Amino acid sequence: MQLVLFFVLALLAVAGAVGVVLSKNAVYSALALLLNFAVLAVFYIMLNAQFLGVVQVIVYAGAIVVLFLFVIMLIGGQLAPDALTAGSRRPARVVALIAGLVALAGLAYGLVSGALAPQTGQVQGSGSVQAIGRVLFTDYLLPFELASVLLLVAMIGAVVLARKPTKS
Amino acid sequence: MVPLSWYLVLAAALFSLGLYGALSRRNAIAVLMGVELILNAVNINLVAFNRFIVPAAVNGQIFALFVLAVAAAEAAVGLALIIAIYRTRNTVNLEDADLMKG
Amino acid sequence: MPSDYLPILILIVLATVFAIIAMALPAVLGPSRKTKAKLEPYESGMVPYTDARRRFPVQYYVIAVLFILFDIEVIFLYPWAVMLRQLRLFGLIEMAVFLGILLVGYVFVWKKGALEW
Repeated sequence: MQLVLFFVLALLAVAGAVGVVLSKNAVYSALALLLNFAVLAVFYIMLNAQFLGVVQVIVYAGAIVVLFLFVIMLIGGQLAPDALTAGSRRPARVVALIAGLVALAGLAYGLVSGALAPQTGQVQGSGSVQAIGRVLFTDYLLPFELASVLLLVAMIGAVVLARKPTKS
Repeated sequence: MVPLSWYLVLAAALFSLGLYGALSRRNAIAVLMGVELILNAVNINLVAFNRFIVPAAVNGQIFALFVLAVAAAEAAVGLALIIAIYRTRNTVNLEDADLMKG
Repeated sequence: MPSDYLPILILIVLATVFAIIAMALPAVLGPSRKTKAKLEPYESGMVPYTDARRRFPVQYYVIAVLFILFDIEVIFLYPWAVMLRQLRLFGLIEMAVFLGILLVGYVFVWKKGALEW
């Protein structure tokens, strides 16, 4: 049952990613991205990370995709179709192919050497909000506070860059 | 129970697709979408390793949470940059935005 | 446990099936008379005065960005709120620092006039 579910969802996720990469219209790209993000939320739940699954829907599907759509609308819905296959960016495909092969090779190595042997059992609701809160606010205190600095910088940067330049 | 390697293969596929998108598209918005795909593939890896290697801990999920925050900040600033470039140069084509001084 | 989410899966499937039926049935059963009024984007609504794909003011983007960044802040607030009793005063101070840093950004944005319409 889980295997079938995994296959269907994996197919949907990859289809969404292919849609993002290949569709000529940026609006369709954003919608395919939405599909991909939503499917990933289900994967998080299957991996016993319920909190992350919900957060994925709230932040990615609910906010980031909307932001992308906003920008597409700001710039004008009918963007010039960017010719995907026009010669000069061909090296990109080679690089992507090599990266994919490297990832698969590392994976194969890990499987053969036994470093990735699954350890089952002893899972008791570790994806819960309590467990995350306990570790986040003790062991990961500094990254947590630095995250606020990151958000602050992003806020200032975005407002300064996007604001109309001629208003002083 | 789905084996760990399947999740890793899925993440590798999404990562490669995202990399391809980020490298091959000329539309700056589409490039940012490719970057988002890459970050999500990393998140799958983090959560899957967390689940299979150290199932009693949540460290991988917390890393994924931070990746999420970074992704949001990156999208915010990246899209603001695209708007700024569009305002001064009237294009979102990355190959036209090749001057340091607009 | 993942199996607890089966009802949600069933709900999603049911909603999808219902949407498909609701869209397919009128096309099959109803007569199709395409008059000009019926082909308007909003039948018996407002008269559209331009293409929907016109440009939007940049203010919308600024508001959306601020929404996302404060959304992340709220995401960090959830586990904190759940664990506040165990974390005691230390947790309160941590979150005060976190919120204080973000408050600086909020004040900056406000002073900069980015929230003015």
